[in-house]
Amino acid sequence: MTFLTELIVSGLAIGAIYGLIAMSFAVIYKATGLVNFAQGEVAMIVAYVAWTISVHVDGNPFVVAAAAIVFAGLFGLAIERLVIRPMMGEPVFTTIMVTIGLAVVLRSSIVFLWDAYPHALDLGVGQEILEVGGVRLRSGQVAVFLILIAVIVGFFIFFRRSRFGVAMRAVASDDRTALLMGVSTARVQSVAWAVATIISGIAGVMFAIIYELSPVMFTLGLKAFPATILGGLDSVLGTAFGGLVIGTAENLVGGYFDPRMKEVAGFIIIILILMVRPFGLFGTRRIERV
Amino acid sequence: MRSGYFKETIAEQIALTDSWAVRAWVIALVLALIVAPFYLNPFYLSLLTTIAITVVGALGLNVLTGWTGLISLGHVGFMLLGAYAYAIPVALHGYDPLVGLLLAGLVPALASLLVGVPSLRLTGLYLAITTLAFSFIINHLILSFDGFTRGARGIFVNRPTILGVSFQSDAAFALLCLGFAAATLLATLNLRRSRIGRAFVAIRDNDTAARVMGVNLHAYKLFAFVTSSFIIGISGALYGIFLSFVSVDGFPFVLSIQALAILIVGGLGTALGAVLGSVFIVLLPEVVNLGFGVLGGEAARAISTGAHELKSMLYGLVIILFLRFQPHGLVGLWRDLKRGWVNWPLRY
Repeated sequence: MTFLTELIVSGLAIGAIYGLIAMSFAVIYKATGLVNFAQGEVAMIVAYVAWTISVHVDGNPFVVAAAAIVFAGLFGLAIERLVIRPMMGEPVFTTIMVTIGLAVVLRSSIVFLWDAYPHALDLGVGQEILEVGGVRLRSGQVAVFLILIAVIVGFFIFFRRSRFGVAMRAVASDDRTALLMGVSTARVQSVAWAVATIISGIAGVMFAIIYELSPVMFTLGLKAFPATILGGLDSVLGTAFGGLVIGTAENLVGGYFDPRMKEVAGFIIIILILMVRPFGLFGTRRIERV
Repeated sequence: MRSGYFKETIAEQIALTDSWAVRAWVIALVLALIVAPFYLNPFYLSLLTTIAITVVGALGLNVLTGWTGLISLGHVGFMLLGAYAYAIPVALHGYDPLVGLLLAGLVPALASLLVGVPSLRLTGLYLAITTLAFSFIINHLILSFDGFTRGARGIFVNRPTILGVSFQSDAAFALLCLGFAAATLLATLNLRRSRIGRAFVAIRDNDTAARVMGVNLHAYKLFAFVTSSFIIGISGALYGIFLSFVSVDGFPFVLSIQALAILIVGGLGTALGAVLGSVFIVLLPEVVNLGFGVLGGEAARAISTGAHELKSMLYGLVIILFLRFQPHGLVGLWRDLKRGWVNWPLRY
């Protein structure tokens, strides 16, 4: 029984990271209608920048967090302005390929700018062992779960209550009408990129704190993919749930069947999901028959 | 004053070329390529072989992505399957290389049905995701069944002897790859001219309209999948033989991206584009090396320490820049040049 709970609990912790990244996929998809294949790379870059900052300012966690968030926001704005906006309105193939190109550039620039070795992102927090009901956990694992919940609640309130959140929903549902109603879609889209980069950056930093910082971290983006599809590409809150499910499922497969299958469990789920419900559990059903 | 060409029959429309000059150039090129392997030094010979193998793979992907408009990120998965379908029977069990090459096409073709059937309902983005998942699953299956595939240890592959002709030497193997490239080029060009090829393009341009015209979408999409993975599988086998070692590490995911980059750079949806793109992408790192070599000193040092990263960064940059500034690729550039040459000083 403890083995099972341990698998589930640590699965939820990694699932929360997938969930955060999956939410950033969904935020961008909702606002701009494109899937950013570079989301994992973006998370990795933010984590590396956080690491560089922490090395230089000698690790006050609040300073590092604030600086990393500011960087993430600016980075997201820059990507949107320089790479994505010129390509808006092009066919799906073009926009997908642009984000893939971006992913390749970011991924190789990590090894080029930093190095290829794993590092520990040590902020002096997140490593303490907590014992909750017989399950031993690192505080970082608890923290990332709490952050996910905070982000979910934050989004919920933001989309329902704030003027800008309503504008975002308007752009997501019909950008032309929103434009005619005086919503600046361009601004909504840049903010969506900034927000998505911050969320996935948080996920990247948390992953680096709990596990390690290395150039293969971009696979987080690939892992979050199944989560996004499971939750539904256009359902921001659904994708968070998808992340938790995928994280737990991966851990259970790894624990009970074959550790090697852990890596591909998510991809097998994705194919099954796409066959049955291509729009995910919470996504909007688009009528598209072939 | 010449006011343009007019074609009056379908036969003229679909002819590969109607110009004697083009035929003469093609014959000259073919002769040059046949002679070249015997005169090139080993480094240029290996580049030529790489280009030939890449052309085969790019033409294969072109059938699926360029003509039928189905985005696939699973290129490397099919290449791996092809390489293993060749290496396991030939290198481990001593079958004839011809059998191996046939299997290298057939196994990926069958596997593509596995991806193709569930993907029939999906388009664009979602198909990209399933094919991406497929290539990762293949990767892990190969590592998992190590009793059959030797897992992470990989398989050594010798150069083949086909029908009594030995392809042991580099020059002979280069000729074999060039032969495959030429055969693939002819085969895909003719496929494009046929009823099937026109159906592919109809699906790409507007699937609803194609369906109304009586194109069976499911059958043709599956056929595109099967044809393209057959060809890609063979390119995988050739690549495995070229490396003389088949392993998961020899086929990194970046090959999938490289294949798409080739199509974009060359010009999506044309066979000529796939060929030009292959030449461009394979030679790009070498040209950059040369450029940095001229700059000398600091730059040369940077490129030797980060050569691999710079190379993949270039792929990414090239994809972005071409999509942004020359979406029709090198073929588009060539067409514009030709049009400009013919019509000068007028602008149309």
